[in-house]
Formats: sequence, structure tokens, C-alpha cells
Amino acid sequence: MVQSDLDRQIEQLRKCEIIAETEVKDLCDKAREIFIEESNVQRVDAPVTICGDIHGQFYDLMELFSVGGDCPDTSYLFMGDFVDRGFYSVETFLLLLALKVRYPDRITLIRGNHESRQITQVYGFYDECMRKYGSSNVWRYCCEVFDYLSLAAIIDDRVFCVHGGLSPAITSVDQIRTIDRKQEVPHEGAMCDLLWSDPEEIEKWGISPRGAGYLFGSEVTQNFLHLNGLNLIARAHQLVMEGYKLMFDNQCVTVWSAPNYCYRCGNVAAILELDENLKPSYKIFKAAQQEPRGMPAKKPAPDYFL
Amino acid sequence: MMESTGMEIDRTEEELYPIAILIDELKHEDLSFRLNAITNLPTIALALGEERTRSELIPFLDESIDDDDEILLSLAEKLGEFVNYIGGPSYAHILLRPLENLAATEEQVVRDKAKSINKITDVMSEESVEQYLIPCIARLSQGEWFTSRSSAAGLYANAYKKSSSETQQQLLAGYERLCEDETPMARRAAATHLVKLIPNAPEYLETFSIKCFKKLAHDDQDSVRLLAVEPFIAIGQILVEKKAWKNLSGKKELFGEIIKLCQDKSWRVKYMAADKFIKATSDIASFQKQLILVAERLLSDTEAEVRGAACTQIVGLLELVSKQEDSDIKQFLIPIKGLADDSIPHVRSALAKHITGLCSIFGRESTMGELLPIFISLLKDQDPEVRLNLISSLGKVTEGIETISHSLLPAIIELAEDKQWRVRLAIIEYVPLLAQQLGVDFFNDKLVTLCMSWLGDPVYSVREAATANLKKLIDVFGIGWAKETIIPKILATSNHPNYLYRMTTVFAFKAIAPSITAQVVQDLILPCLEALTNDPIPNIRFNVAKCMWELVEKPKQSDESSQIQESFKTLLHKLEEDLDQDVRFFASDSLSKIENWQSSKNMMPLENE
Repeated sequence: MVQSDLDRQIEQLRKCEIIAETEVKDLCDKAREIFIEESNVQRVDAPVTICGDIHGQFYDLMELFSVGGDCPDTSYLFMGDFVDRGFYSVETFLLLLALKVRYPDRITLIRGNHESRQITQVYGFYDECMRKYGSSNVWRYCCEVFDYLSLAAIIDDRVFCVHGGLSPAITSVDQIRTIDRKQEVPHEGAMCDLLWSDPEEIEKWGISPRGAGYLFGSEVTQNFLHLNGLNLIARAHQLVMEGYKLMFDNQCVTVWSAPNYCYRCGNVAAILELDENLKPSYKIFKAAQQEPRGMPAKKPAPDYFL
Repeated sequence: MMESTGMEIDRTEEELYPIAILIDELKHEDLSFRLNAITNLPTIALALGEERTRSELIPFLDESIDDDDEILLSLAEKLGEFVNYIGGPSYAHILLRPLENLAATEEQVVRDKAKSINKITDVMSEESVEQYLIPCIARLSQGEWFTSRSSAAGLYANAYKKSSSETQQQLLAGYERLCEDETPMARRAAATHLVKLIPNAPEYLETFSIKCFKKLAHDDQDSVRLLAVEPFIAIGQILVEKKAWKNLSGKKELFGEIIKLCQDKSWRVKYMAADKFIKATSDIASFQKQLILVAERLLSDTEAEVRGAACTQIVGLLELVSKQEDSDIKQFLIPIKGLADDSIPHVRSALAKHITGLCSIFGRESTMGELLPIFISLLKDQDPEVRLNLISSLGKVTEGIETISHSLLPAIIELAEDKQWRVRLAIIEYVPLLAQQLGVDFFNDKLVTLCMSWLGDPVYSVREAATANLKKLIDVFGIGWAKETIIPKILATSNHPNYLYRMTTVFAFKAIAPSITAQVVQDLILPCLEALTNDPIPNIRFNVAKCMWELVEKPKQSDESSQIQESFKTLLHKLEEDLDQDVRFFASDSLSKIENWQSSKNMMPLENE
């Protein structure tokens, strides 16, 4: 792919306009080539800005960039759940993907539980692709990319980033490295847990009400950090009204980056900026103002009828 | 791999095969295929030729009118642009039939688009207007459903222009009937489109326009009455053009109507009247006493929306009042003070936005005595938007800005520290304006530190705005001032331990580039940038590379320019060997831009100096 084409696609996607289906295919092919080289637990250098769920809230992602800075000037790590629920999953995921292909060292994407064929068929991404492209091809291309996304990331050997949390099947980071990740998210096992688990004010393990993954407590968190020489687990996956929430004596943080989740929860969102010395600072932001989101309704929207 | 869904048909391939596909698609059972075919109607028409488009395609489209709204919407839009495909204006009337059907559909967006009949009217000859369009309008106006009657209202103005005087009479009579239609929907449409018809029929002002206006102003539905304000303005404009206000027989009555609208029992009507008050009344020279009373009442209306709308009219209103011999603008101070203490923030906000326009009307003494205290209270308002609006309109304060500066400063500082970053962003944008008004000494004393502190704001966009602000300040106070005050402070930020803030240093250089000289780049900026090329964070290094190009291209050229270019090129060559691929990319990019720029400069004869 020619760089100027890619730059044009990024410009187009930044305006929340979709790119052609053939371009999506090329982009996804290129992205897969990059992701296949990345490890299950991708190494990331500080400084980096950590972001949680986006869920297709495109204009709120633009708000995130307004607060945190543009990619590639600011380096980003997105902890999954790019798609579903919001109105613009296609534009959101393709923009992040295009940025990844253009600046692979400046942006890291890891897999969330929504980056899956099964989940996206239920929660909106599949329907959105059908509506915007008239066929399921784009959805298929994207799902193939999902299978190649890393499962976790480690920043400067100190901060462990994962979408959901820990798994009872995993005691050391090296065990994650042995998983064959290039598959649909399974219903159980280590890979599933990493994407589905939640922290809970208990000591050991608990049954997750989600029906997948586990609840992990303070003691297992501490053990995991200690054994692997880590300081912090950063994860997303759960709505936090205040945007972020520290637990277990600041050893685990939930970062949530979808303000006013589903356009009605009334929550604020956060990103976590780690500077070059891993010094954290949290930036809170609210949902984008109404006008830009209202725009698409002004031209008679054919997709409504399609 | 590519499925041949309709979406992907290449429009440049205008061969017959795709045309056949499109024609098939017009009948396809899948909606998206039909929709695609409709979007490509011009292509089909071109392929069929004008003759067959007229005799086959248009009748076919007409028959298929019972279809999905989405198709109809596209069709209505396309047909409006279709005159050239059916053989030009002399055949334009052929398009009327399908459009007439579309104008009667249930879905409003389709009907709106069917107004593309107006586009066709514009190219039709007068004969065919009489022969085809007028009967079409008549049919629509007498349609069984309100849908066709409301569509009809939008067609009169254009048709009127192209009709014989006899037909014009008929049209006006027909329109009058629409103004008293049994359904409010059709009456609303009639009220909306009356504005366009009035200027076309100036000779029937009293017998038609004013008559219709009165009907609408007396309507029992407030949603119709509120639409009567605009026609009133249109009538007023014609009266002014014809200088006919004075001789108008029913002027008192007509004038009474607008007063009535201002005092309507429905707040929506009052809102509309208040919002357009000046436009509607400024031409009525002789009745202002009564108007002033009405205006005063609108300013203290019980409904906040009405008060807010009235606030937007305040400058025009007091201008009118000041021209009256026996009126005193000071009588308005009481309602204005009331508005400054209004319990609804958006009313205060509207007042704050417009009140500074009053300074020139009040003159120095009253401004100092009466208005400034109100400004100060608005500057201390609890709502940041009120404060921002006042500050944003301070440019209109002609007198006594020094006096309020002591209240201004705390207001600015508080806004600058607001927890909403958009508020901080907004105040930054007004700073250059304030700088101009307050002068360099006040600025150096009080505001420089503030402006520099924005460079360290936690939010990226605020930092970005802060760099743009610095450029504007240099434009106001000059490069000499910048060298002494802000540039040293920018340089100091390059040692920040967090890369995002060192980035701001680089962004600041980029922002001020157009307003500085090559000498400043050479003496102050170059050493700092050189140090930053060794920054441990690649993001900084590639932004330094990007910035170097800006610093070559933008500043005013001088003797130092070529030396700077060479220094930058040396640094960029080094960055081209960087370990990080983005740094290498942007270094090469800047390097080639600089080299291209140099060679194009060398080919051109020397400019200016």
C-alpha cells in the first residue's frame, strides 16, 4: 500500500467517513502482517497513554485525542473493545487500524472480548458493516484481524495491560506467551479469562457473573505482580462512572474511555498517561458535544432505510 | 473476491453491459439495488438517449411510484436535475407528472425533495408553465389530502413569476385559500412560503399579502401564528422600498397586528416576535412609542426563552429608542439590570453577549456610570458561559476599559483555571483581543504568566491553543517583545521531565514560525532544537524534524536563512540514521521539502531584499 493512500485514508476516517471495501481489505491484510509479528504479550516502551473501551463512540474517540494529543505525536495503547454498541464501530476500528499500519511503533492495539465473531454479531458491529457496506465482507476482514491481536502488553517490564484480567490458569507472563492466540475467543481457558475476568474485593478467585472469565482478588493480583516483577495491572472491560478506578492498594486500575457509555450512562471517561519514568497521570474527559454527532442526521440518511 | 453488489459498480465504465444491469436493478426486489440504480439514473438516461428516456424511462419511473420512501426520496432529487437528459427545457414538463405524484406522498422528506419542481419551473417557457405547471399546481392545491396541498404552497412563488397577469390573479386566489386551509399543516406550509411570494407580487400588497398575513396572524393555532412574523417582515420591506408606509390606509391596523403577536398568549409566538423584533419593526417610523412599551414587556416576559430572544435585540432596540425625541434610553436600565440578575443562565448569557454593544449608544458618561457596574456583575457571574460571552464582546467597549480591568483580571484567571477544559480553551482565544485593548504594560504585568501556564495545561488541545495564542500575541506586541518575554519562557519548557510537555516546546516553535525572523531562529531556537534532536523519546525527535521544515519555510527570510537551512540539514541527516522508523521518515520528509524549496528559491529571481 502506498503511504500517501494510507495518509488519505486516515484523513478520511478522521472525518468519520468510511473507506472503500477494497481499501478495507488491503488495510486488514497489511494490519495482519504487522500483528502476526507481535507477541501474545506485546512489549511497549514508556511513555505511552493507556486507553480503555471505546465501543464505536467515534466522536468521543476524537475527544480522547483532543485531550491526550494526536497519534503519532502521543503514543497510545488501546486495551480492546473498539467495536459494538456505539454508532461508528466501523470508522472507529478502521481508524485505529490505519494508524497502527501507518505508525506501528506509536500505537498498540490489544484484543478485547468484543473483538470476536460471536459477540460482534449480537452487539452491533456486524449489523453496522452490513448497513454501511451492504455485505458482510468488511466484517469478515475485521474479524480475521481480531484473531491476530495481541492478548496483553507489558510497558517497560513493569505495567501489565490486558482487557479483562487474570486467569487461574496463568501464574507467569511466560505462560501467556505459549498460547496459540490466532483463533476465535474460546469459551473457557486462559485466553478467554484474560479477556473476560474482573477484579473484585476478595482475596483469591470467584465465579464471574458474566459467565466467562473469573473474579480475581487482591492476593492473586499481588502474587502475579510479585512473581513477574511487575508494579501494576492496567485493564478495561468494566464501566467506571469516574473514568478510572484503582483497586488492591493501587496495584490494579480499571481505565474506561467511553464517556456517556451507550450515549446514556452519564459517566465520564479517562485515559492514563504514563510518562517516561512511568509516572501516572489520569486525564478525565466528557462526551463530545452534541453537534458533531448530530451532523449525519442532517443529510437524509439512507442507511436508516437500508 | 469482490462481489458485484450494486455499490461497487464503477461509474467510469459506461459500457452497455453495466447499463443493462442498472435497468434490471431498477426492478430488482432488493431495495439497495433499486436505490443504486436510481442514483445512477443519469447514466441510464444517457445510454438510452433523450427520446427513449422521455418515452420509456420517465413513464416507467412514474408507474413505479408506489415504492419505498427511500427510493422516492432519491428519485425526487434526481428528477430535479433531469431536464438535460430528456432533451432540454422544451420537454421539461414531462418531468412534472412523476414529481406531482411525489409531491403528494405521505413522507415529508420526499415531498420536500419533490419541490425540485421549482428547479424545472425555472427553465420552463412561459407557455408551458401556463399549459402544464399551473394545472399541476391547481390539482395539488385541491388535493384530497393535506400532503399535496402543503406541497402546492411551495410551488406558487416560482410559477407566479412566469405567469400572465390573469393567471397570477388565479394563483393569488388559490394561495389565499391555502392560508385558510382546514388543516394546520397546509396553513403552516402556506405561511412558510408566503415569504417568497410576497416580493414577487408587490402590486397586490394590500389586496393579497397583507390580507394573507392577517389571516395567518389570527390563526387559532400558535404554530401557524408564529410563522406570520416572517411574512410581516417581508411586507415591511416592500413598504419601505415603495416608501409607502405613510400612505398605507390600514397602517394602524397592520401595526396593531405585530403588537398583538408580541403579546400573544403563546410564548412560542412571542419568542418568534421577540427574536425578529428589530427586523420587523425598525422600518415603522411613526409608531415607536407603543413599540417601546411592547419591547420593555418582552424584556421582562415571564418566559425565559422570550427574555433571551429579546436580549439579542437589545442593541437595535436602544438605537431606535435613542432616535426618538421624547424617549429616554435610561428607562431600559431597570429591565436590563433585571436581566443581569435573571435566574436563568442562558438569559444572562444572551445579555452578556449583546450588552457591550450598548456602550456607543450610551456614551462615555452613562457607560461609566450605568453600564460598567452591570458588566462587572456579569464578569462575576457564577456561570462560566456568561463570563466568557462578556469577555468575548469586550471589543465593543469603547470607554472605560481601564476601569473594569481590575474586575476583568480575576474573571479571566478564574476562567483560565476552570475545570472544564473547553472553557479554558475559549478564554485563550479571547486573549489576543484583550491584549490589544489593554496594552503591553498591563499584559506584561498580569497576563504573560497566565499565557505561559497554559503551555503546561494537562489537556493537549489547551496546550495547542496556547501555542497558537503566542503567535497572535507576537503579532500584536512585536518580535522585540517576544524575544524578551515569551521566547525565553518557551525555551525553558524544553527541560520538562514529561515528553508531552517537551512536545509543546516544539509545537510552540512551529506555531510562532510565521511571526518570527530567521535571526530569532538562528540565535534562540536552533540551539534548543539541536539539543532536542538527542531527546530519548522518538516522538520528540520526529516532531523536531517536522518543525525544522516549518522553521525554514515560514519565518521572514534574512541573511541568516541559508545558514539555518544548512544547520537543519546537517541535523536532519543525522536523524535520517535514527533507530526509530518514524523519526527516519519525518527527517527524510523534511529534508526533501527543504531541498525542493531551496532549489525552487534558487531558480527564482531575488524577491524584495
